[in-house]
Amino acid sequence: MRKLLLILPLLIASPAGAAESWGLPGEQAASFAGIVVDIQCALTRDCPKDCGAGRRQLGLLKKDGALILAMKNADPFAGATRDLLPFCGKSVTVDGLFTSNEGVRAFALQRIKPPGGEWIAANGFVRDWVKAHNSSEAEEWYRHDEAAQARIKTEGKLGLGPGQ
Amino acid sequence: MRAILPRQWILVLAGLALLVVAIPPSRGAGHRVKLTGEVIDSWCQTTGIMFALGTAHHQCAIWCAVGGIPVGLRTSDGTLYTILKVDKDKENVANPRLLRLQTHEVSVEGDIIERDGLRYLLIDQVMDDHGIVNQTHADNGIQPYGE
Repeated sequence: MRKLLLILPLLIASPAGAAESWGLPGEQAASFAGIVVDIQCALTRDCPKDCGAGRRQLGLLKKDGALILAMKNADPFAGATRDLLPFCGKSVTVDGLFTSNEGVRAFALQRIKPPGGEWIAANGFVRDWVKAHNSSEAEEWYRHDEAAQARIKTEGKLGLGPGQ
Repeated sequence: MRAILPRQWILVLAGLALLVVAIPPSRGAGHRVKLTGEVIDSWCQTTGIMFALGTAHHQCAIWCAVGGIPVGLRTSDGTLYTILKVDKDKENVANPRLLRLQTHEVSVEGDIIERDGLRYLLIDQVMDDHGIVNQTHADNGIQPYGE
């Protein structure tokens, strides 16, 4: 599992072909076009500027009206907001995987392509994290992130208290 | 029929204006709910790629919430709700409030909106926080790496 998580960005950087298999339950590769939207805005019409500037979950509104939440990106333990944010309100084509489990269908974003542009690997979270932290710990960012460390120090790995 | 004088019109219009102000804005397709469930990492829960409930998954749930994966609420019947708002805080990526609730069992009141196979939850109030009650680590270790 760990190796799989680490090689995913390399697999996705490949310019040819569609989404790579991650071996997920009910996995289905998908490529589709849509407008990048703030999910909360699309549902409630509460629409801050810039899709919430990275603080809100983003997704894709397809031409047929379907709203797709981008639940995951190609980095380990990271979501897709950083990857979609530069395209807020714009049309893009995406590559990724749908996975179904317990009656829920979720979408994992692997690549994005703006009109007339090149495919971009959806690993913006770690790319930004490395820049922000001036760190070379990209492979295991989650073990070195201050916010995560602070919570785990306070709550323990099990959440039952410090040291537990 | 007796004509309404200009002064009476003003009173009628003022009354209508007060009525409009008193009615809260509609949330469209949402409906009001009270739910109790575990605050979880929605990706691991949805994919089932690792045991995603309780103490076994607490550390991973923290990592995922910090990484911006949507935080959800899973009720005892297995229904997953994606949390978009908590109290007055409408931010839902790496939200510190949700980070502190991760893996806790909570009772909440809010609105759900169903759209294209997902249930979105806008929490107006966390009524009760029972802390972590689902102790799963004895059977499932620490997910995902056992450390």
